Amino acid sequence: MLRLTKTHVSPSAPGSGASRRTLGFRAAAVAAALPLVLAACGGTDEGAVAEDGTWSPSQPIEITAPAATGGGWDTLARTSARLLEEEELVDDSVQVVNKPGAGGAIGWGYIANNAGDPHKLFVTSPPILLVPMAGDSDYDHEDFTPVARLATDYMVYLVAADSPVETFDDLAAQVESGDMSVGGGSGPGSMDHVALAGALEAAGADATQANYIPFDGGGEALTSLLGGHVDGAVVGVGEALGMLESGDVRAVGVSSAERVDAVADVPTLQEQDIDFTFDIWRGVMAPSDLSEAQVAYYETLFADLMDTEAWQTESARLGWTDAYQDSEEFGAFLDETREEFAQILTEVGLQ
Amino acid sequence: MGMLDQLMYGFGIALTPENLLYVFIGVLAGTIIGMLPGLGPMSAIALMIPIAYGMDPTSAIIMLAGVYYGAIFGGSTSSILLNAPGVAGTVATSFDGYPMALKGQAGKALAIAAICSFVGGTISVVGLMAIAPSLASFAVSFGPVEYFALMVLGLTAVVSLGGRNLVKGLIAAVVGVMIALVGIDSQTAIVRFTFDLPELYEGVEFLIVALGVFALAEVLVMLNQRGQGGVRKGVTSLRLSRREIAQITPPALRSSVLGFFTGVLPGAGATVASFLSYSMEKKIARDGDTFGQGNPKGVAAPEAANNAAAVGSFVPLMTLGVPGSGTTAILLGALMVLGVQPGPMMLSENPDMFWGVVASMYIGSVVLLILNLPLIPLFAKVLNTPRTMLVPLVVVFCVVGVYGLSFSVFDLGMLAAFGVIGFLMRRNGFPAAPLILGLILGGLMETNMRRALQISDGAWSVFLTEPISAGLLAVALLSMLPALVRVLRRRRTGIEPAEPSAPTAGTGDASEEAAPTGEDDAREESRDRAEAGSATAPGTGAASGTGSGPDGQAAPRD
Repeated sequence: MLRLTKTHVSPSAPGSGASRRTLGFRAAAVAAALPLVLAACGGTDEGAVAEDGTWSPSQPIEITAPAATGGGWDTLARTSARLLEEEELVDDSVQVVNKPGAGGAIGWGYIANNAGDPHKLFVTSPPILLVPMAGDSDYDHEDFTPVARLATDYMVYLVAADSPVETFDDLAAQVESGDMSVGGGSGPGSMDHVALAGALEAAGADATQANYIPFDGGGEALTSLLGGHVDGAVVGVGEALGMLESGDVRAVGVSSAERVDAVADVPTLQEQDIDFTFDIWRGVMAPSDLSEAQVAYYETLFADLMDTEAWQTESARLGWTDAYQDSEEFGAFLDETREEFAQILTEVGLQ
Repeated sequence: MGMLDQLMYGFGIALTPENLLYVFIGVLAGTIIGMLPGLGPMSAIALMIPIAYGMDPTSAIIMLAGVYYGAIFGGSTSSILLNAPGVAGTVATSFDGYPMALKGQAGKALAIAAICSFVGGTISVVGLMAIAPSLASFAVSFGPVEYFALMVLGLTAVVSLGGRNLVKGLIAAVVGVMIALVGIDSQTAIVRFTFDLPELYEGVEFLIVALGVFALAEVLVMLNQRGQGGVRKGVTSLRLSRREIAQITPPALRSSVLGFFTGVLPGAGATVASFLSYSMEKKIARDGDTFGQGNPKGVAAPEAANNAAAVGSFVPLMTLGVPGSGTTAILLGALMVLGVQPGPMMLSENPDMFWGVVASMYIGSVVLLILNLPLIPLFAKVLNTPRTMLVPLVVVFCVVGVYGLSFSVFDLGMLAAFGVIGFLMRRNGFPAAPLILGLILGGLMETNMRRALQISDGAWSVFLTEPISAGLLAVALLSMLPALVRVLRRRRTGIEPAEPSAPTAGTGDASEEAAPTGEDDAREESRDRAEAGSATAPGTGAASGTGSGPDGQAAPRD
């Protein structure tokens, strides 16, 4: 069963275990959703518009994580909510609501049903593009208002410590010849697969020949690599950190434009003359039909948040790199990225 | 001596008043949450994560670990008392636990569950402490090929769970596997058997099926028996006789070891462990044929195994940084939020956390036992509830459990449907346990088989050329042999299976072969009669005597 909740979206991807039997995750939402019910009872309060046209919220802000607790979206939602309160950037409280299910589609449906409500945000990452492309969501990113892109994480391409593969080109050649299977933490056509296929294409290999093995989470892919059951793996940097440090696995490339501090000795693909980058970006979106003043308020709010020292500390620990974009830039970025994904998926024959 | 010093150091951390309090809170919260159907260890931990925020990381993980094994323990309570396993890991417990409760031995069953959980947990912690680092290579030695073989071995339990009628058991198991296939296929992202209903994209939740075919079906049976045998036997003492203790000790010890090693495997976990141990003990036991009718060993084995596996799953988490189960995956997420990176470096970089957790597990097991033994009579009171109260209560329990997961009315419809299916299955002699087994293991088996074949480029031979896989498959085959031989022999000699026979127990392995037909049939019959409302249902023709009570209610719940 494909867990489209490819919670792999973060370094703390572990939340992605468990596949279909994530029943517990959902249950967590019960408790988490209680404040939501209360908040919803308040009706759609439009907030306060000041004389000068600026807007500010009039009730607690609610951040939805369209996944269960413990995963990547949840981490982002809870970290932002906590810091917004601690740093006193908001007057009222910030509630986190978990709406897991259908790879995010349940949560997106909830936001879509609250069009125009300026107090309901949600955290997002590549699945907002990939899940709708697979036809598994009634809503796609165009049904929501981009607020800001916050941070990003990258993919690493791994082989076993004693593998003869030294560079990404070696890996591409092996994969193309069919001698190498590569495990990833998400289903076919979702993030890890796209990150592999795109890099292979860019390296001049035929990505349709890639033997990509989907596992339930990056952790499982890593154990399979360690045990020699697959010959390579593509997972988020954060997930691989522990095993890279201990030397159990070796990275032949990272999908960032510049080297990542946490794994400074791993060359980027671009250094290896492969023109491909893959960001596991994270951002915040809101329901459709928000006014300019409302969007402007949140843009500033999150920009201020990222300026705080507390944010810097947290994001360094979680392995995130700052990648702020305001609403307009983020919207354009989403459109572009979707084009790129569509192209990769078509090349691999998945669309 | 280094290890002992470190353990002492760990106890030093875990025994601070503050951390003791957290162990206590964790275990208590876990037990209570775990008792509610629908809320297993995963949800228990998820619920506690917001509380753990801002706590000292070591205290936080000590508390969360307490929640984890508390919840596993708590889950067995609803399995035993209400036949409503809220967690996959305690399904096997209900096979014998609920019949024991029906026989008026609820106190005993709960006490056995508590003690065996303690034994399993403790043995497993010793294992975690002593050999965790060297187990890392064992944990990774299992890939898709090996997991497939392991799941096949687990599925052979169908043969023993099926009870009297192997064919009906197999049919139920196949249906279970088919239910597991519903939803988006993980290997190709193709939608299967969903009838275009988005509600089914993620498959059918295990909990809905389990509560339906066990708890709701039980309710329907109760309703159908209206007018006779209304009062269920209450709780008797929870004191175990010396003989009973001697009886459950070997299974508990064996299952603890089996559970620990199964738990260490990242793809297996408590559920597989409990089924494996249950079917192993059923085969080993001289009175294996009374499993499923309230045999204490049938409670001891899965309870020791699931707790041992819960601790075992910390091995891959702490040595590889890889979650061994859905629950440890959440735990890993929580740890990372708290700023701890479990993994190969944890022992050297964060020794106080590692040893603090190990020590807290010892303490947690003890707290769990102390906390629960006195509470058992209280829990078991639920059985004294008059049926007019109990029936609506169980229904509400199930409905809330399912609705709370998804807020989906569709899921409630499925729950009702599975309740009816479960009822019809029981009326027609189809055992429910194989259905659940097929559902739980079938999905894992299929996924791993497809992964393995994808890696091997479609070569099936890989399952036989990999030594671990070949070994597991051989064991699977051997374990089915007696039952198959039995069926074939019966067919050849044309023995009329319905003829009551008085099998002599106590011939070791042969007892299973001797188990087959008559007595179960008689019970089946008596139950059917009881269900049909005949107040004159006799005791049974069972020779072994541990079977049904005079009111026919304790008939084997297949």
